[in-house]
Amino acid sequence: MPLNRDDWYDTSRDLEWTLSYVDPEVAFPTRWSGAQGIPAEAWQAWDEPFRVSYRDYVRIQREKEAGVKAVSNALLRSATYEKLDPAHVAASQLHMGTTCLVEHMAVTMQSRFCRFAPTPRWRNLGVFGMLDETRHTQLDMRFAHNLLRHDQRFDWTQKAFHTNEWGVLAVKNFFDDVMLNADCVEAALATSLTVEHGFTNIQFVALAADAMAAGDINWSNLLFSIQTDEARHAQQGFPTLAVLMEHDPERAQKALDVAFWRSTRLFQNLTGPAMDYYTPLDQRKMSFKEFMLEWIVNHHERVLEDYGLKKPWYWDDFLHSLENGHHAMHIGTWFWRPTLFWRPNAGVSKDERAWLNEKYPTWEENWGVLWDEIIRNVNDGSMEQTLPETLPSLCNLTQLPLGSAASRHDLAPHQLVYRGRLYHFDHAVSKWCFEQDPERYAGHQNIVDRFIDGQILPPDLTGGLAYMGITPEVMGEDVYDYAWAKDYAGTESD
Amino acid sequence: MGPDVHGNVWLREHRDATRLRCADWDAFRDPDAVTYGRYVAQQDDQETYVEGLLEQFEREDHDAALGTEAVALLRRALAPSRYLAHGQQMLSAYLQQLASSSYVANCAAFQTADQLRRVQITACRTTQLRSAHPRAGFATGERQAWEGADDWQPIRRAVELALVEFDWDRAFVVTNLVVKPVADLLTLSELGRQCAEAGARLDALILENLWIDAQRGWRWTAALTRFLLADEANREVLQGHLDELAPLGDAMADSGGRLLATGSGRDAAEISAAVRTRWGALLAEAGLAAAAGPAAGTP
Ligand SMILES: [Fe+2]
Ligand SMILES: [Fe+2]
Repeated sequence: MPLNRDDWYDTSRDLEWTLSYVDPEVAFPTRWSGAQGIPAEAWQAWDEPFRVSYRDYVRIQREKEAGVKAVSNALLRSATYEKLDPAHVAASQLHMGTTCLVEHMAVTMQSRFCRFAPTPRWRNLGVFGMLDETRHTQLDMRFAHNLLRHDQRFDWTQKAFHTNEWGVLAVKNFFDDVMLNADCVEAALATSLTVEHGFTNIQFVALAADAMAAGDINWSNLLFSIQTDEARHAQQGFPTLAVLMEHDPERAQKALDVAFWRSTRLFQNLTGPAMDYYTPLDQRKMSFKEFMLEWIVNHHERVLEDYGLKKPWYWDDFLHSLENGHHAMHIGTWFWRPTLFWRPNAGVSKDERAWLNEKYPTWEENWGVLWDEIIRNVNDGSMEQTLPETLPSLCNLTQLPLGSAASRHDLAPHQLVYRGRLYHFDHAVSKWCFEQDPERYAGHQNIVDRFIDGQILPPDLTGGLAYMGITPEVMGEDVYDYAWAKDYAGTESD
Repeated sequence: MGPDVHGNVWLREHRDATRLRCADWDAFRDPDAVTYGRYVAQQDDQETYVEGLLEQFEREDHDAALGTEAVALLRRALAPSRYLAHGQQMLSAYLQQLASSSYVANCAAFQTADQLRRVQITACRTTQLRSAHPRAGFATGERQAWEGADDWQPIRRAVELALVEFDWDRAFVVTNLVVKPVADLLTLSELGRQCAEAGARLDALILENLWIDAQRGWRWTAALTRFLLADEANREVLQGHLDELAPLGDAMADSGGRLLATGSGRDAAEISAAVRTRWGALLAEAGLAAAAGPAAGTP
């Protein structure tokens, strides 16, 4: 263009007007904008952290699309997929099933910004975010569609969020909270900043690196390409944080503390097992904890401190959970493997165990003994001892199993009664989150509540599996058919 | 989340309580089958075309040579239209977020992006015109015009009233069957013709290009309306909303005629009549009847 973008950009964002035919409070309800308690003029300080023109956006994104498609087409004709380690494939199925529709939920969250955000600058940037998330949804769908001929589990890319699979419900519950039920300010703090700026790096950078090492160029390429969009639109959260730090810093601190804990728990479920157990040993780049310390603690939290925020009050609990939570989630998901739509890898052969002990000095003491019990049963042929008969008790905040936030030495009941109903939590911090906004969480029934309520019939594991939509062709089973346990045959450790 | 959280109450009230009946919303198909990949590719082509126009007309110093009538028309009708486009952008985004099917929501998402395209192109042209005609008031007086100029008021009023239509079926009717078709007919199609007559050839060509987006928006709108009208019970709902809300569009057509009228081109009555006729034809294509009588008053 003869003009530079910066010549006309200010005019293109000069779009605010004074509504006079309708009540502005009705047209921009604070329940969606989140602007309560913040003076209207304050939003004039909201400045785009990045500038992009529609013209540049469609050009750059077209190139990115062409790049991803070219790689994908080239690989379609090769036999790359057949050569992938099955445990790595499980990681991609877990990712697709739990992420694709989150991308689609994010389209709607961004669209909420386009409609209800308290400044037209943010409403405009939301358009690019909305397009980005549409891209991610469709990329995932196309990727999975191409792999359906290899494995029906890729059907769960689209299907998972239409089922009641317990892990999927936990993911859905979190994103219902921070994307679809959130006002724009809450969504900016919890999703743009905490999830997109902080945690998606684990899923999209760490996992992408592991995928590349595993030879899954197609998936790795897709994850990296998605991350280039995330890194851009995540920044929408910063100007909102700046406005809040000026006018309501307590709200910002609390919202971020809740979102940080909820995200930690979620990614212990989604990414922790994939990184530390499913990825083949020789292809691992960093442990889940190392990645969390580098990206979340050193990078993300430091950025937030520059805005005047404090570390979450439960920092020591967070660090302790970082040593344990995803190991708990892993042994739990492996044990309840018939409730999964992917095939988990136990990942505790002797070599893998040495790696776990090196990365997590308390692993043997906290988790090794539990795996030894499983190993003994596998090698004795007592398979029924390694399988569940009932459903686990779940947290009323995270929807994850009670006891899965730390180690076996930390087990303690965390409960409260609210309006006559007893609620259970997987950690004192989860209980604290609930207490910050009880009405937000109180009305939801977790799977166990539904079980007790008689919604799951017959009231046993079979009924539970049917309720979750688990069918025989996708039902989780040990991905190596217990070959790893032979490491220990005859030389039982204890 | 529990059934009583804000987001769920909003969905029950404004989406699920609709009187529209549809056994399978997911059976709807976008006639253009726009995917993300296709969208960015085709819009990149369109933007490349517009970029070429801007360069070509810059070389011939087109803006400096514009006559008084053209400058006045662009100042009066083109420059403030970025507020209108922003209104349409917000309205389109609402259709996305409450749609009952992703097949519908995706159409509304791309429509939202089309509106941002228009905002930015209008801002770019406004800035160019300011440098060619520094004393004509470009890039300074648009908000005042949008908020205060008589002929913009019925248009702004329609946008504002549309912004508070939160039931999805009413939002769809007021946005995509009333405000958007009338606004696009006026400020893209008719304005383009007036620009051409007044010698503002560059803007005539740009508006013609933006009209391509508007036509795509219309195709899914008509397709969805016909899809819903397959159940006759929906006719009463959609036609009922249209009859109630169409006076907003009529008022837009009337004042829009005055806004766009020029000596070299059409006069106000001709423009209003043309817009009304063309709008009626669009509604007929969608399977609905134009609301009774011109300018039947305002709701
Ligand atoms: Fe995304
Ligand atoms: Fe995102």
